[in-house]
Amino acid sequence: MTNTTSTSQGPALEQEGPIKKFFRATEIDTRILGMVVALILVWCIFDIWSGIIRPNEGLFGGSFLTPRNLWTLLVQTSSIAVMSTGMVLLIVLRQIDLSVGSMLSLVAVATGVLQVYQLGPSLGVGHPAIWVLGVVMCLAIGTIIGAFNGFLTAYAKIPAFIVTLGGLIAYSGVAFLLAKGETVAPMDQNFSVFGGGVERSWLGPFWSWIVAFIACAAIIYAIVNGRRQRQRFGFPLRPVWAEVFLASVGSIVMLGTTLVMNSYAWPPKLIENFAKANSIVIPAGIENKDGKAICMAAENVVRCTEGFILYTGYSLPALIAIGVCLVMTFVATRTSFGRYVYATGGNPEAAELAGINTKWLTVKVFALMGFLVGVSSIISSARLNAATNALGQTNELYVIAATVIGGTSLAGGVGTIYGAMIGALMMQSIISGMSLLNLAAAYQNMVVGGVLVLAVYLDQLYRRNVK
Amino acid sequence: MAKTPAKKTTAAKKISKPVAPETHETPVAVTGSQTFKQTRAQPEGIPLIEMKEISIAFGGIKAVDHASINLFPGEVVGLLGHNGAGKSTLIKVLSGAYKRDAGSIHVEGKEVTINNPRDAKGHGIETIYQTLALADNVDAAANLYLGRELKTKMGTLDDVAMEAECRKVMHRLNPNFRRFKEPVMKLSGGQRQSVAIARAIHFNARILIMDEPTAALGPQETAQVGELIKQLKAEGIGIFLISHDLHDVFDLADRLVVMKNGKVVGTASTKDVDHDEVLGMIIAGKCPPGAIPGPGAMRN
Amino acid sequence: MKKTIIAMMAAGLALGAASMPVMAAGKTIAVSWKTFQEERWKTDAAAIKAVVEAAGDKYIDSDAQGSAQKQAADIEGLIAQKPDVIMVVAFDSDAILPSIKAISDAGIKSIAYDVQFEDPNALYITFDNVGVGRIIAQEVSKLKPEGNYAFIKGDKGDPNATFLFQGMMEVLKAGIDGGKIKNVCETFTDGWKPDNAQKNMEQCLTSTSNKVDAVLSENDGMASGVVAALTAQGMAGIPVGGQDGDLAAINRVAMGTQTVSVWKNSVDLGKTAAAAAIALADGTAMDKIAGVAKFNGGKNKVEMNSILLAPTPITIANIGVAIDAGHITKDQACAGVKAGTVEACK
Repeated sequence: MTNTTSTSQGPALEQEGPIKKFFRATEIDTRILGMVVALILVWCIFDIWSGIIRPNEGLFGGSFLTPRNLWTLLVQTSSIAVMSTGMVLLIVLRQIDLSVGSMLSLVAVATGVLQVYQLGPSLGVGHPAIWVLGVVMCLAIGTIIGAFNGFLTAYAKIPAFIVTLGGLIAYSGVAFLLAKGETVAPMDQNFSVFGGGVERSWLGPFWSWIVAFIACAAIIYAIVNGRRQRQRFGFPLRPVWAEVFLASVGSIVMLGTTLVMNSYAWPPKLIENFAKANSIVIPAGIENKDGKAICMAAENVVRCTEGFILYTGYSLPALIAIGVCLVMTFVATRTSFGRYVYATGGNPEAAELAGINTKWLTVKVFALMGFLVGVSSIISSARLNAATNALGQTNELYVIAATVIGGTSLAGGVGTIYGAMIGALMMQSIISGMSLLNLAAAYQNMVVGGVLVLAVYLDQLYRRNVK
Repeated sequence: MAKTPAKKTTAAKKISKPVAPETHETPVAVTGSQTFKQTRAQPEGIPLIEMKEISIAFGGIKAVDHASINLFPGEVVGLLGHNGAGKSTLIKVLSGAYKRDAGSIHVEGKEVTINNPRDAKGHGIETIYQTLALADNVDAAANLYLGRELKTKMGTLDDVAMEAECRKVMHRLNPNFRRFKEPVMKLSGGQRQSVAIARAIHFNARILIMDEPTAALGPQETAQVGELIKQLKAEGIGIFLISHDLHDVFDLADRLVVMKNGKVVGTASTKDVDHDEVLGMIIAGKCPPGAIPGPGAMRN
Repeated sequence: MKKTIIAMMAAGLALGAASMPVMAAGKTIAVSWKTFQEERWKTDAAAIKAVVEAAGDKYIDSDAQGSAQKQAADIEGLIAQKPDVIMVVAFDSDAILPSIKAISDAGIKSIAYDVQFEDPNALYITFDNVGVGRIIAQEVSKLKPEGNYAFIKGDKGDPNATFLFQGMMEVLKAGIDGGKIKNVCETFTDGWKPDNAQKNMEQCLTSTSNKVDAVLSENDGMASGVVAALTAQGMAGIPVGGQDGDLAAINRVAMGTQTVSVWKNSVDLGKTAAAAAIALADGTAMDKIAGVAKFNGGKNKVEMNSILLAPTPITIANIGVAIDAGHITKDQACAGVKAGTVEACK
């Protein structure tokens, strides 16, 4: 024992170069760093490429790196991202849920039917109880279905693959019957706020900055508190420069994102409506001024709104996705529940012998997955402002792909929440980017499939290298 | 998590599952006829652990067949036998990994219910499995506290406190161990072993089960484990030592129990028997004069 | 072509009204349905039954429950009951052919209802599917004769997506060639999914900086995604076309966020088919039935007698048609509509 430790620890520290030393001191996950770099690269390529086709205001003259597209990207990613955080825990636990897409349609259709056919006519359209009941129902149904999947897996001992494959087929059938094959629309007007498509679901610059500052304060607090804790027990500390570096990177990312969100102006028509509704007079004689984003030709009259502009800030679905990411990271790393999930995924027998009730744990993780599907179904149906049994179909593939691209191992025991979020963002970036280039869905699918396989291959190379 | 409901179910099972009817030849009868040897073979007083008439079958095969063993404070009892003799299975009944079909378990004279590992730990029974049973993907502190994590006032994991405790206990076992931040899969065999041992002794175990604790270790590390066993013994902890290695057992154990085909061949003080006699017990089930024969002893 | 459609529409309406003189009662009309799993077939069945029974004839049917094998057995059973005409909604348009031959061999007339099978002895009755794309384009270009058009097409693997687009292009070709209409976005939508359509529309608006004046969506589900994307940009209200007569789409038409939903009224289809079946049962020659024309647009280009009904475009002006037909209730169509803005909601 003595020999092994001294050889692997002692001299190694002195031999490492500045780059290695940097990564060791900051404890940055180089794998995630690689993904972030790849993501930024993909963004730049799309911006340049779309600029060649149709010049716009992006960083490199395209349409991709514009506040508008990045803002939309976050909204488009949010539903898959929320579900992928649950899928991380399931796959870490050596389970899988193939039924999330069908569950999403079922939950969305159920809440749609409730809102449009039941509560709407009986309570009156727009009654505040409608959205509350709609939300509660989504979360409840999702959780119950998830727990049912988990129960069949853990206690009836049917493999999760089979249980949820059955669910994939069966739940979409239930959704079809519930909706009678129809599109149920429109959702309750308060409920649709969760979709990010209406003015009320935009936080606005002021509250967005508040959120950003709170987040920065939390990052700094976490770092300072962690350091103090380690000091209390006299543990080795990270160098101060590394702590400052981490705090600044975290804060800059947070503030930068907020800045981008806050520079996306309301669509001109909506500003116009807002100005009209609030009797804001837009000064005359500015028609020929800079009119690219804030003036718009409509029905042969140029209406300019310069001098009065509103910015969206974070949209509610993006904020929900970020919030879910933080809460799930907390659950995964700071609670005994999360610890048990990882330990059980690493060695189920050992977890059982350590006294963990792994069956009940399985049910809980499936139920959590169901709850998150409920959250996603709120976002998706509110965003579309309609519920159909087509909503969510094949989402399971994107959720699993995002999770795997984000570094979760299908062998279990390994995976991070933020990795899955980046995976989801990567996938949606490719889909949105190719859509901007007017490339058909078939090409998008080909590229996303290729990226999935490539990501797993690179991951394996990386892991082999580390060993 | 969910500790209270677990206790409730065990209580319920206690009522529905009575102690096995004593229709067989009991070990009391056997030992009773040879009282002079009993005084020699085992200490007096109330045993720390007494497993009586334990039976367990897997798909019709009796892995353990009416086996009875006991253990006194500060005593090391070696469990010997071939692969498949039933020693590991018997011990897994005690640690709660397997549920017995029949028989009873007594801790300090009182009958207890052990249906799962949590029950066993509740009675101060800790186990070091041959496979080590470590969650390979988490670090040493997480393994040390798996299933009984330290929490902060907010109810979150107190990783720093756990690491601090882990450093303390690991310092005692393996002073050079410094890889606290790495998943245990990256550690050497000896380091992993010390994590498993740390987990067993850290929670004030009264009874320690060690299943082949030195199988994966070099001579130096084996000696270290030997030292540890002596130290724990001095603290009054009772230890079941399962081993293939007769030398180990003779070095460390006070008594030994030999099993064959799921039955106890015999029990003996290590002072009263020699290597060849014990080998005879293991291979042929032949009980030497220095040992108390059990139900599995070959009849002359 | 346009003239034939109008002629057919007229014929359809005439037949639909079931005003044909009843020649003889006591005939039997049989129908083999492919499934009753989908709600719409029950509407068709009710319409056919009503017309048949009103004429004093007998209606019998069977449900193949989505199985080609069961449908073959069903048809054998129907033949045994010696009806005068058998209508078939084929589950599998190839596998059904031997059964159709058996019908002919038994001296019974056959009608291919809504789903084509290529047997020259059968009468094919359906909606003019190619026409749907044309109607969508006509209604939208009426409101927006020039400007930037976006096309949200269906799934690439579905030939209907291409047919619909062809129909649209027939109407818009002159405008595009003359430079009045500009095709700014044209995307297929994976799986005809509304959420994919929404994303495609969002990306279209991003890449054109909202310079879109009209959107042609190939169905109503995708139109819901299009309208959601437009709403987020405050652009809801620009002309949007779709098809299917979805309840939600008719509601959008009433609200003014969708211009047209082309509706294939299955009650009309049922009534027309029932009237044609009665005529056949009474001995009218197939090509003498009102509205019958030759059709060879199928997979194997087999020439068949057929009646192609023109679908109904539902716009804000004629929502009442769908309400009167019982396709949608007034409450459903008019939910959330500002009072006094729509005639049918008053």
